[in-house]
Amino acid sequence: MRYLMLLLILLVGAALGQPADWPDPFAMEFATVEFTPSEPERAVLANGIVVYLAESRALPIVTGVAYVDARSTFDPVEKVSLAAFTANLLREGGAGGRTSEEIDAQLEFLAASVETGANDFFSQVSFIALSDNVAEVLPIWRDVLIAPDFDEERIEIERQRQLEAVRRVVDNPVQVAVREFYSRVAEGHPSGSYATEETTSSITSSDLIAFHGRFYQPSATVIAVSGDFDSEEMVATLEELFGAWPGEPVDYPDLPAYNPDPGPKIYYGFKEIGQSVILLGHPSVTTYSEAYNDFNVANEILGGDFSSRLVSEIRVRRGLAYSTGSFITESFEYPSNFVAYAISPAQATGEVIELLLAEIQRIQEQGVSEEELERSRQTILNQSLFRFTSSSAVNERTARVQLLGLEPGYYERYLENLQTITAEEVREAAVRELRPDEVVIMVVGDESLFDRPLSDFGEVVTIELE
Amino acid sequence: MKRTTLAILLLVLAATAAAQNLRDQVTLVTLDNGLRVIFVDSGAAPVIAINLMFDVGGVDEPAGLGGIAHMVEHMAFKGTPSIGSLDLEAEEAALAEVEVRALSLKYLRANGSPEEVEAAEAAFAEARARAQQLALTSPLDALFSTNGGIRLNASTGYDRTSYVLSIPSNRLELYARVYADVLLGTIFRQFYEERDVVRQERRQRNEDDPQGFLFEAFTSEAFDHHPYGRSLIGDSEEIEGYTATAAQAFFEAFYYPNRAVLALVGDVEVERDLPIIERYFGVLEPGPDLRPRLASEPPQLAEKRIVVEYDAEPQIVIGYHKPTYPHRDAFVLDMVDAVLSSGRTSRLFQRMVLQDQSALDITTSSGYPAVRYSNLFLFYGLPRAPFGTADLEAAFLEEIEELKVELISDEELQKVKNQVRASSVLSLASSSGLASTLAFHELFAGGWEVFITDFEIYESVTAEEIRAAVGKYFTAENRTVAELMRAEAE
Repeated sequence: MRYLMLLLILLVGAALGQPADWPDPFAMEFATVEFTPSEPERAVLANGIVVYLAESRALPIVTGVAYVDARSTFDPVEKVSLAAFTANLLREGGAGGRTSEEIDAQLEFLAASVETGANDFFSQVSFIALSDNVAEVLPIWRDVLIAPDFDEERIEIERQRQLEAVRRVVDNPVQVAVREFYSRVAEGHPSGSYATEETTSSITSSDLIAFHGRFYQPSATVIAVSGDFDSEEMVATLEELFGAWPGEPVDYPDLPAYNPDPGPKIYYGFKEIGQSVILLGHPSVTTYSEAYNDFNVANEILGGDFSSRLVSEIRVRRGLAYSTGSFITESFEYPSNFVAYAISPAQATGEVIELLLAEIQRIQEQGVSEEELERSRQTILNQSLFRFTSSSAVNERTARVQLLGLEPGYYERYLENLQTITAEEVREAAVRELRPDEVVIMVVGDESLFDRPLSDFGEVVTIELE
Repeated sequence: MKRTTLAILLLVLAATAAAQNLRDQVTLVTLDNGLRVIFVDSGAAPVIAINLMFDVGGVDEPAGLGGIAHMVEHMAFKGTPSIGSLDLEAEEAALAEVEVRALSLKYLRANGSPEEVEAAEAAFAEARARAQQLALTSPLDALFSTNGGIRLNASTGYDRTSYVLSIPSNRLELYARVYADVLLGTIFRQFYEERDVVRQERRQRNEDDPQGFLFEAFTSEAFDHHPYGRSLIGDSEEIEGYTATAAQAFFEAFYYPNRAVLALVGDVEVERDLPIIERYFGVLEPGPDLRPRLASEPPQLAEKRIVVEYDAEPQIVIGYHKPTYPHRDAFVLDMVDAVLSSGRTSRLFQRMVLQDQSALDITTSSGYPAVRYSNLFLFYGLPRAPFGTADLEAAFLEEIEELKVELISDEELQKVKNQVRASSVLSLASSSGLASTLAFHELFAGGWEVFITDFEIYESVTAEEIRAAVGKYFTAENRTVAELMRAEAE
């Protein structure tokens, strides 16, 4: 008993208590922060390019980005990663008659940058420059966007680098598990496809030229420029830079249908590691649809943040994962995916899969408490302030919304719904949108260490990770 | 040439103006208890990025308790006696029982029969379950997120431990109330559950990831004595042996206001906010400035070399011992870092990625694994098949030899100086990044403004100094090489 007392003193020794006049932090109340950020200015260039501008003199920096409706989902089946490869070679393959080396040398001497990228929603070409030398950076940025030279030698170098990167994906258990999971849950749809040695090898310079020529058009381009400049002068400069880009209508491809019901099935890939990477989920609603606005509240409570049920149950109470939770992927034209995940000890693989499924079922059967709903509501509403704290972030989001064609007011509707939704409506959304009996389950790990065979959860398909 | 000169001049002006602007924005206040508070009024938006940085980290850990600094960092999210308990008296009694059960289990695992261990495990689990019933699961997260806080997080390095949060500026009092209370006395609830979480974090980062695996082995090989060579997260045996009692003792030895800097960047007003900080943080008592005596690293006299077997594509890392700030060579070697791997025109990228095409990617770093004590200059590369680690090593060494012999051109030197200047301006664009940078410099470099004056040192670095530093430090006997490869590839 003395030992116990000693420990008590040790454990609470420092806890002499806070001063009596300190408030209870759970009872502290604060006014809602009212903040009206300045709206970006909008201009349309003569050839149809929409430009958003956000002046800010806080720092002597100008940043800009051109978003182009040239999505990775436009990749032909046999040439997966064409959009990304094209974007990469815009930057690496020379532009406007300048060699790649010349572009690199000029930009790096000016301590400026021009970078490119592509994802399932758009391709982008961005720049950062100190405002005093932005005049020298803008023409390079323009040429990278509209006048790439696609140097053959550089194409080959980048192809070989991508082949090496493809070889290395399997080295990382999380990366390979995510790749394999999406390829199963979105089977047959370009959003689930991934680059292989074969697809990477098949891409030619003609493919890059054709992809660029087809999709990089003024009508498919929205620009956001932010920082230290005068808007009127900037629009005139952009008009001059892009005036000679006439453009033509874009012939967009028809995407294959998205199979909304790919499961249920369990996929297992062997890796000799001590943990299992577990992902399970299924296709779901499109982002910011009415159904999404309800379902997202259910997901937040289920696994969306650190106070959520999955994190509390699997990580905090049981210590069975450092990384766990759930999320809904972003998607506007075809189904998104609901995904629950955990990276857990191999010896607890079955236990964790069961916990993930049990929490999904529990939210369907028992719904959510008023307290959970209020916590989620306050979190989303109060954190939404941070959407507006950077004028360049607001500006770039406005440009992306324009490119994606989202309906005006989509976010306000999302927040309005959040303010009025009831616990019963959250439960109904969970019942409607979660399908624990139809999940695709992906497990990467070493089954010789598992606590239970995966076949306890259904039909198992073993895949080779390569 | 005229254009070039103009471009340089403009860069200098931009960097100078930005530095002056920052000086105007910063107010430093030291409370009576020694807590230094940096206010940076930079915000148009009503939010504040916060970084509370402590002078405690991996180097302060006692032998056998590797990673305990990181474990304590995790515990700081578990609440306090007044935050998160459902019945404090009962919870304290339950936690005391958990600790007794934990110590008893630890003893029996070493000395007991299987039956005794099994019984002790069951009693331990029951005690933990009882304690869990008496507390909220994540009280700090719930408090801050419902109040609009984002990026609630923390990180532990060898040199320092940082607690970060961004929050609407009218909630600063909530922040002060909660974090001052954490320093008054955190309660080590759910300690053993969190120990399991940390064990999983180690698996995920250091065991099941080839890069993490390689770097842990490399770092251990490179340092014979200095604690930079220890695993920052601790080895699995150490983690599994932690007790709440030992973690609490570590917390109490180091967590005092006089060992910390609180940086607030954004919508801050000193007149409005200082009274809030003083009301809460001001009640904390200063503590002893305990500083474990660290083993110094003796000069390395012969090359060290290890091969790490792992079922993954090959990687290589090479390190050279070097001094740290404020030694002038540390600044010179930062410039060498930029010459070698900053951007597409850097020497190693040009040579290895574009010309030889022997690497998928390369990088260098002039301050690994931390910067408070003498550290390493690092070369890291991923070979592109059919090239291997030996090809990358040969290329690294050739480029080093080149720098030892030839002076770099004025133009190349100017390019890296421009990059440094631009980075000084760009670093001001992120509130959370700025909070971290200023806190670190205030805590360890002799003042937050050293962040600005350091740029003047870079400005003065010469080509001769670069050549001399490369010759002095990049020698065979000062080198540690670690290669990761598959067993059959040897």
